[in-house]
Amino acid sequence: MTQHSTGTSITFDRATKTYPGAAAPALDALDLEVEAGELVCLVGPSGGGKTTALQLVNRLVDLTSGDIRIGDRSITDQSAIELRRTIGYAIQQSGLFPHYTVADNIATVPVILGWNKERIRARTAELLELVGLSPVETWLPRYPAQLSGGQQQRVGIARALAADPPVMLMDEPFGALDPITRVAVQDEFLAIHRAVAKTTLFVTHDIDEAIKMADRIAILKPGGKLAQFGTPAEVLSNPADDFVAEFLGAERGLKRLALTTVGEIVTGSSDRVGAGAETAGWPDVEATMTLREALSVVSAAQAEGAIVHAGGSRLGEVSLHDLIAPPTAGEDREGVRA
Amino acid sequence: MDVVFGAFPFMIDNVGLLLTKTGDHLVISLIPLLAAIVVGVPIGIWLGHAHRGEFLAVSVTNIGRALPSLALIAILIGFVGIGMLNAMIALFLLAFPPILSYAFQAVNSIDRDLTRAARGMGMSHGQVLLKVELPLGLPMIIAGIRTSAVLTVSSATIATIAGSGGLGDVILNQVAYGMEGVVAGAIWVAVLAILVDQAFALLLRVSAPAGVKRLQSTSVA
Amino acid sequence: MSDFAPAGDPVIPDYGQASDCVINNGAFCTDWFISQWSTVFWPPLISHIVMVAIAVSIGFVIAFCAGLLAYRKKWLAGPIGIAATFLYTLPPLALFQLLVPFTGLSLLTVEIALVCFTLVIIFQAVLVGLSGVPDDVRRAATGMGLDRNQLLFKVELPLALPSIVSGVRIATVLTVSIATIAAFVVDDGLGSPIIKAVSSPFNTQFIGAGALAVLLAFALDGLLVLLGRVLTPWTKARS
Repeated sequence: MTQHSTGTSITFDRATKTYPGAAAPALDALDLEVEAGELVCLVGPSGGGKTTALQLVNRLVDLTSGDIRIGDRSITDQSAIELRRTIGYAIQQSGLFPHYTVADNIATVPVILGWNKERIRARTAELLELVGLSPVETWLPRYPAQLSGGQQQRVGIARALAADPPVMLMDEPFGALDPITRVAVQDEFLAIHRAVAKTTLFVTHDIDEAIKMADRIAILKPGGKLAQFGTPAEVLSNPADDFVAEFLGAERGLKRLALTTVGEIVTGSSDRVGAGAETAGWPDVEATMTLREALSVVSAAQAEGAIVHAGGSRLGEVSLHDLIAPPTAGEDREGVRA
Repeated sequence: MDVVFGAFPFMIDNVGLLLTKTGDHLVISLIPLLAAIVVGVPIGIWLGHAHRGEFLAVSVTNIGRALPSLALIAILIGFVGIGMLNAMIALFLLAFPPILSYAFQAVNSIDRDLTRAARGMGMSHGQVLLKVELPLGLPMIIAGIRTSAVLTVSSATIATIAGSGGLGDVILNQVAYGMEGVVAGAIWVAVLAILVDQAFALLLRVSAPAGVKRLQSTSVA
Repeated sequence: MSDFAPAGDPVIPDYGQASDCVINNGAFCTDWFISQWSTVFWPPLISHIVMVAIAVSIGFVIAFCAGLLAYRKKWLAGPIGIAATFLYTLPPLALFQLLVPFTGLSLLTVEIALVCFTLVIIFQAVLVGLSGVPDDVRRAATGMGLDRNQLLFKVELPLALPSIVSGVRIATVLTVSIATIAAFVVDDGLGSPIIKAVSSPFNTQFIGAGALAVLLAFALDGLLVLLGRVLTPWTKARS
C-alpha cells in the first residue's frame, strides 16, 4: 500500500551548516536521501542539528556548504520564497493565523498562487475531510482560538498540504499535544500519509514517535553528524554505535516489539501452541495490538500466552515465547493491521 | 522669527522675573504632586497587592485622561474661587490618576508565582510587599510619578487663569511682556518640563533592581 | 491672543429674562444650558470635533508610517521614539506659543501642536503591536512562502490592530482634552466658552462646556472601540 512512487525525493548532499561565531558545525556534511513518497524521521538529542537540517531544506536557514536537492533541482535554483511555496511546512505550535478562519488559513498558499475561488473551496473541503474534521461546514468559519490543540494541529497539516506540494517538512508537529491527543493525531497522520504518500521529513526528539511513524529513521548525534539511517527494525536490531544504542534506550528490545502486531504472527504461533494446550487463564488480546502491548497484558495476567481475537471472533493463540521472540518480526509491516 | 530671537535678550533682561515665576511654578506643581503620591501610591500598591479594583483603576485612568485641565480649573473657580488653593486642588485631581494606575499595575502585574513562592516560604503579607513586590514594582511606580509630574508641570501653566502664578502668567500675558516675553516663557516652561522628565528618567534607571530587566518601557500613556 | 477673557463682553447674558438660577450663578442652570445650546455650545462642539478629527487623522498617518519604518529599520526606533516623546512632554500651551510666531494665531498652529501630542502614543502602539505578533505565526508564515510585504499586510498588521486601535483611542481622548487649550490661540473649540466664562465666573457655561468635552472624549472612545471590534472579528471568537 505504501507505494513509494508518488512525490519527489529530498537529497542532502554533504549539507553543512555552521552558525556564525560557532566553533563547530551544527550540521556536518549530511548525506541523506529521502525517497519519493517516504516518511523519514529525523531524531536526535538537542544540539544534534535536526531542526537545522529541516530548516535548511526550505531555506529558513542557509547552507554553509554542500547542497540540498528536491527531486533533481537544487534548492538554490529558485528564490527562497518561490521554493517555500512548493513545500508543505507544519510546526509545533501550528502557527495558525489567529485572525484567519480555518478556511482562510488553509487557503493561504493557494491564494498566493492565484488559484480561483472554486478550486480553493473544493480543495479546502477535501483537506478537512482528509484530516478528519467533518462535517466540513462546521469547521470552515471557526477561528483557531475556538479549536483544541489537536484540532489546530490537524488544520495546520491541512494548510501544509493545501497547494499539493511534492514534499512536506514537519518540525515536531505533535510535541505540544497532550499524550492522548498525540496518539490520535499520529494515527491520523499515518492514515493521511498512506493515502497521499507525500515525501515527508519529520523532526522529532521522541524516539517512540519516530519508530511508530517512520519508514526510515535518521539519527543525528551532537555535532550534527549522521549516526545511523535505516528502517526502525534495522536500527533497533543493529544500532550502529554506542551513541545510537544509548539513544534508543535500554528498552530497545521492547521497542522493537512495537513494530509487529499480534495478528501478523497469530497463525504460526497457534500452530506451535497446538490444539490441546492448556490455555486457561490466558488473557484476551486484539489482533491489532502490537507485540509489546500484548506482552504487557500477558505479563499483567502472569500467563504463558494470550488468546487472539479480531472483530469479535477468535483467531487463535500466541505463546509468551513467540511474543518475545517473534518468528517474522520487522520484515514487513503489512498484514492484519486494521 | 525675530520674535524668537528677541526672546533670548528678554530672558537675559528678565532673569529675576523668570526665576521667580519658575519657582512659583514648581511650588504649585510639586505640592499637588506630592499629595498625589502620598495618597495614590499607597492605595495603588494596596489594591495591586490584593489584586482587586482593576476596573476602578482603569476607570480612574480613563476619566483622568478625558478631563481637560482647563475645564477642571474653570469648574473649581466656580466652587472654590480664584487662588492657589483652586489650582492645587485641580492639579491634584489631574496628578492622581496616573500615579494610582501605575502603582496599581506595578504591583498587580508581578508574576503570581513569585508572590506565591514568597508566601509559601512563610513571608507575611507585609514582608511580601516589602521584599518582593515593592522592589520589583518600583520602576513602574516611578514611571507613573514621572508621567504625573510632567502632566502637572504642564497643567500648571494653565492654572494661571485661576490666579495661581507660575510661568503661565508670562505666557498668557502678551500685553505686559510682549511676544518676546511670551516665547521666552514658553521656552522656559518647555525646558522645565523636559528637565523634570529627564530627572525622573534618571531616577527610573537607578531604581531598577540589579539583575532585573523588567520595565524598560518609555511608555508615556 | 493675550488675555484669556475677551474684554468688554458681559458673560452672564441677560436675554431679557434671566432665571433666578442664572442671576445667582447656581451650580448648573439646565434651563439656560438648553436654551443657549445652539448658540453657545453647539458650534464650539462641532469645531472641537473637527479639530480633533483632523489632528488624530494626520497624527495617525505620520505615526503609522514612522512605526512601519522603525519596524523595518530597527535602529530608527530609538531616535524616533525620543523625538516623539520630547514633543509629548512639552506643555501644550508652551508649544502653542512657540508656534505662534511662525504660524500665527491660526488653526494651523493648533493642528500642528495637537498632531505633535498624538505622535508618540500611536507610534509606540504600532511598534508594540507589530512586535507582539507571536513567533510561531511569523515562522509558519515565512516557512509557507509569504514574502516580506505579504507577511506585513496579511499577518503582522492585522494582528497589530488591537494595539493600534488602543493607541488611537488614547490619542483621541488626549487630543479632546488638549484641544480645549486651543482656545487660547483661536476662538474655537470647547475651550472657548470655558475661557469666556471664567472671569465672571459663570458656572453653567464652563461646567457645560467642560462636561461636553468629557462626554465627547468618552463618545469618541466608544466609537473607536466599536470600530476596533469591526476590524478584529477574531478577537470576539471564543471556544
